[in-house]
This record gives sequence, structure tokens and C-alpha cells, in this order.
Amino acid sequence: MENLENKNEVIVEENQVLPTEEVEQNVSEIKQADDSIEKNVRLMSPGRMVMRRFFRSKLSIVGLVMLISLFLFCFLGPVCYTSWESNEIDYSDRVEYATTEIKDADGNVLFTQVIETVKRPNSFAKPSLEHPLGTDGQGWDNLARLMEGGKVSLAISFITVFIVTILGIIFGGLAGYFGGVIDNIIMRICDILMCLPGFPILLVVGTLLESMGVASQFRIYYLMGFLSLISWPGVARLVRGQILSLREQEYMVAAEAMGYSTARKIFKHLIPNVMPQLIVNMTLSLGSMILYEASLSFLGLGATAEFAAWGTMINQANDLNVLQNYFNVWGPPGICIVIAVLGFNFIGDGLRDALDPKARR
Amino acid sequence: MIKYILKRLGLTVLILLGVSLIIYVLIRLMPVDFIEKKIAEMNQGGATIDQATIDNMKSMYGLTDDTFLGVLKGYWSWLTKLVQFDFGTSFKYGVPVIDVIKDSMGVSFAVALIATIFEFLIAIPLGITAATHQYSIRDYVVTVLVMIGISLPSFFFGQVLKDLFAMKLGWFPNSGLTDATKDLTGFAKLIDYVWHMFVPILTVVILSIGGRMRMTRTEMLEVMNSDYIRTARAKGLSERKVIYKHAFRNTLIPLVTSLAGLLPSLFSGAIITEQIFDLPGIGNLAFQAMDAGDIPFIMGYNMFLALLSVMGVLLADLMYAVVDPRVKLTD
Repeated sequence: MENLENKNEVIVEENQVLPTEEVEQNVSEIKQADDSIEKNVRLMSPGRMVMRRFFRSKLSIVGLVMLISLFLFCFLGPVCYTSWESNEIDYSDRVEYATTEIKDADGNVLFTQVIETVKRPNSFAKPSLEHPLGTDGQGWDNLARLMEGGKVSLAISFITVFIVTILGIIFGGLAGYFGGVIDNIIMRICDILMCLPGFPILLVVGTLLESMGVASQFRIYYLMGFLSLISWPGVARLVRGQILSLREQEYMVAAEAMGYSTARKIFKHLIPNVMPQLIVNMTLSLGSMILYEASLSFLGLGATAEFAAWGTMINQANDLNVLQNYFNVWGPPGICIVIAVLGFNFIGDGLRDALDPKARR
Repeated sequence: MIKYILKRLGLTVLILLGVSLIIYVLIRLMPVDFIEKKIAEMNQGGATIDQATIDNMKSMYGLTDDTFLGVLKGYWSWLTKLVQFDFGTSFKYGVPVIDVIKDSMGVSFAVALIATIFEFLIAIPLGITAATHQYSIRDYVVTVLVMIGISLPSFFFGQVLKDLFAMKLGWFPNSGLTDATKDLTGFAKLIDYVWHMFVPILTVVILSIGGRMRMTRTEMLEVMNSDYIRTARAKGLSERKVIYKHAFRNTLIPLVTSLAGLLPSLFSGAIITEQIFDLPGIGNLAFQAMDAGDIPFIMGYNMFLALLSVMGVLLADLMYAVVDPRVKLTD
């Protein structure tokens, strides 16, 4: 079908991101040159080309659907599902006191007898209408915790990836553009950071945060902040490599001849051309950041159990009894993590194929 | 070549200095009374850390002097001990850190080695079929499976496998390395080890196949588009010969290079997998040590890992030149 449609058309594609005026100018030139060509040429902006290629791949649509539903679940879910808070213990069988006053014959109170009926929190409740996913060992509602944990997880990974990318662009851009001593210094710092053992260092930072008395619900933010401080070298290398090759292109010579400022050359002419690879990189690292965050909270470096996180929920499966009998406690967060990471990976892969100027499908 | 290697070695020293500085600063940021509290906790828990060990540790890291000069001095004294491979004595385990690392490395190494072998054995053929049948159903199925493998978190998937194989089916033990109730020797003991390590290894293999397979597929696709493959086909070679004799051999270049880069990770241990299955590997010991605030072990383990990863990068680069005659090492 697609081939038949395109048979008589020539798709004009621009690999470099050109300002729209330039494109329009080109178009008008083509129009002047040959009026009849207008019927046969269909002009597509690079953005539309990318969109078209992206949506042609089934996997990227699947990824998009997965992520959108996950986002709706985590951010809209708590609005609709309000019966339980994520840290509200279900004491449906709460402790009850029955008091009886023991009196003597005159009606004077001798002593008060208190009969205490100790009922534990409604822990490990089976999935029911009241608790759609049941409750966990503490009597917390699993569904509410799942949403809350997802909210934190998704938000944190977005922030982290954003910081990593910004740092990577700045350092990579500086290194690639200036070269020489600056390049050398930045690249050596990259070498050092890349050889830092990621996970164990985070464990050390976790202990450090504990020693400094940082409240447990904020620890994961500090940890991920530290993670973004040490993981920008990957992005920086990518940006630097691209800029090194782009620097030699004619349009950069033209920019030089126009007397543009350095900042304008870097941020307006070089960085936009690195954007495609950066976007792919960001999407893929979103997935890995979610994994990182979950692993950290699984190891108990993040918040205490009171503050919901996907990793902490799975951690309960370390108890063999929970592992064997209560899949509804530790299964859903695992599935959510898989959906999130898979979604980001699918989209990242689809974007990579769609943004690749060499691919002409 | 020699000059290049020397230059790289110099760079390696620089990197290790940088890493050690960062780790040292992180440890120094901890308040001393926190460390003392942790030590007291360990002593209550049954460990026997005498005052001499603590003083020794304090002087080794220069924890007593908080001025800038004192910090520098502390770093220097720690560094000089480090180059003599003296990592200090672990609080938690009561023996020199280097001995703890040596003793626990075996288990981690066995798991990682067997897992890596299976990973390559399974991932490479799958990658090749996916590449030679690009855009076929086979390619899609393999790709989706790989993606799922990449996206599965190890701590979740490990639990699922443990639940399935150890609890529900009862085929394998759920944790540990040996069966404490039996006194096994010789071959039976080895079998017992393998039996205990089966599920952890399975976890690692399934989780790592994805990346390797994707790599093989990408490389293979790139090679299949090159001119000499067209020539090979034009000569009338059988498809089998084209793929395995001409294309696959060239895909091996990055694979072998990555193998060299993988070498250090064989020794570093898998923190999460070992923790789930309670294997006494280096990753698990390190996690417990860090949990307890065992400073000497934390420092030693981190430096050990940094050394491994620096070596990995160096090895991969050198291997690249060895495997691919077109690559010339120049500075």
C-alpha cells in the first residue's frame, strides 16, 4: 500500500535541521524552477518524517500505550481511588477495649476491669472489593502504594535524566567545541567518573546520608541526585563526538564567517544537530533510571517502608512466606517496573530508527 | 605500541587517584561519632573490635584531625597503605579486607563465569538468526524477548525464579551455597554447589542475554550490508558459508573486545542476585559490610572495583588492536 502511494512522489528530506525560512526559500525556488514539479513533489518537514516513521513501527506504539496507561494509573489513579492512603494502615480489626466497673455492695467503684481485644492490622488481606490488590504485612493497601510508588519513581527518573542530559550537553559541548586543554581536562574527569563503581558508591552515599541524619523519605532524591552527578560522562562523550565531526561541516564555517558568538554557535547550530541521538539516549536511560531507583529502594537505601516505593514493596518477598503465598504483594510492583522500562525501551528503539537519517523506509 | 601502553598505564594511575580521592572524600564526610556508634553496634552484635583496631583505623584514615592539612595527611597515609595492598582490617569480619575479598571471590567468580559462558552460547546464535532473518517473525519474537530480558529488574526476576523453582516446584534449594544438614565431600560436594547455584546463574543468564543478543544482531546487520558480503554472494558461495565464514567472523571483533571488558566483572560480584539467593559471594558480603558501616571494607571493595574497571577498559582497548589488524594503537 505504502509503496503504491509513494510511487510517483519524490520525498524531499532535509537531514540537517534548517531554519524554516530557508526551507521555504528553497521551496519557492523549486516552484519557480518548475511549476509542474509541484504536482509530483510532496514536501515533508523532518519532524513529520520522523513522526511517520515512528508511528509505522508497531513496537513504538505498544510502548507509547504502555507508558500512557502507566502514567494515567500513577498520576490519575490516586485521584479516583481515594479509599486508602498509601501509608494508612487498615485497622479494620482494631484493638477494642471493653471496660466494666466492678463495684462493691454500696455502689463504690472498686476497680475498673479492662478487657483488651488485641486485633492486629488487617495484614495480608486477600484481594477484595475493599482492597483490590489486598494488603501487605503492615496492613497497607497495595493498590494505593503501587500508585504512590509509581509517582515517585517516574518523577525521579525524569528529573535525573534531565539533569544528566543538561550536564552532559554542557561538558560535552565545551570539550568538543574548544578541544585542547579543556577537552583533555573534561575527558579525564569523564574517565575517572566512568571508573567509579556505580552501585557500591551509591551504597556508601546511602550510609553517608544516614550518618548526616537526612530524613529517610528524602534520601532517594539525594541518591539519585548523586547518581546524576556521576553519570553524565556517557552523554558528554556522545555530544563531544558529534560536535567534533559537526565542527568541520561547511555550515559551521559559514557560522564562523557570520561572526556569531560562541554560545550561539554551540547552542543554536551544534546542539540541535546532536538532539536526535540525545533524545534516543534520554528515552533509553529513563528506563535504566527506573531500574536504578527500584534497585536502590529494594536494598533499603531509599525511604523506610512507610513511604511507598516499588523496590521496597518487592523487598517484602525476601520473606519466604510472602514470596510463596502473597504474590499480590510483590508481583504488581515488579510488573509495573517491567512495563515502565519496556515502554521506554520500545519508544527509544522506535525513535532511534525514526531519527536515523540513513534509514529510508 | 609500547609507548601507547605506557601512556595508558600512566592514565590508569591518574584515574585511580581520582577515584580514590572521591571515595576518600565521601568517607571523610561521615561524622566520626557515627562511625563510633556503628562500631559499638557491631560490638553489641557479637563482633569483637578492640580499641587498638579502632585507633589503627582512625590513624590510617586520619580521622582524628579535621583541619584541611589533616585531611590531606589522612588521604596521603591511606594512599601509601593502599599501594602496598594494605586495605586495613575489616570490622565486621575481623580479618584483613584483602583476605575477605580473596575468600569470597570464588563463589562470585564461579557464578559469573558459568553465566557468561552460557550467555555467549545462547545469545550469539539468536543474534545471528535475528539478523539474517531481519524483519521476519523470528526477528520480532527474538527482539521482544530480548527487550523483556533487558527490562526485567534482577531483584524481581530473581524472586520470581526463586518462587517458581525453589518454592513451588521444589527442585532447587532457595538460598545458600551448601546444604548444612549434609556432610558432603569431593564430587558430591561439587554437585551440591552446582545445584545451589543453578537458579542464581539462570537469573543472571536470562537477564544478560538480551544486551549481548542485541549487540550481535546490530553488528551482524552492519557486516551483512558490506561490500565483501555482496562479493561472497556473487562468487556463488552457499548462504551458510557467507554467514558463518565471512560475516560472523567479522562480527566477532566487537564481541571479543567486549569479552575483555567483561573480564573484571567476573570478579566483582553481583550484589542483588547474591543477596536474593543468600550466596556468600563478594557482592553480598560487601552489601552487609556497608549496611553495618564497616569503613575499611567499603573503601577496600570500592578501590578493588575501580581497579577492575580501569583494567577492563585498558584490556578492551588492547584487545581491539589484537583482534582487528586494521586498528593501530597510536596516541
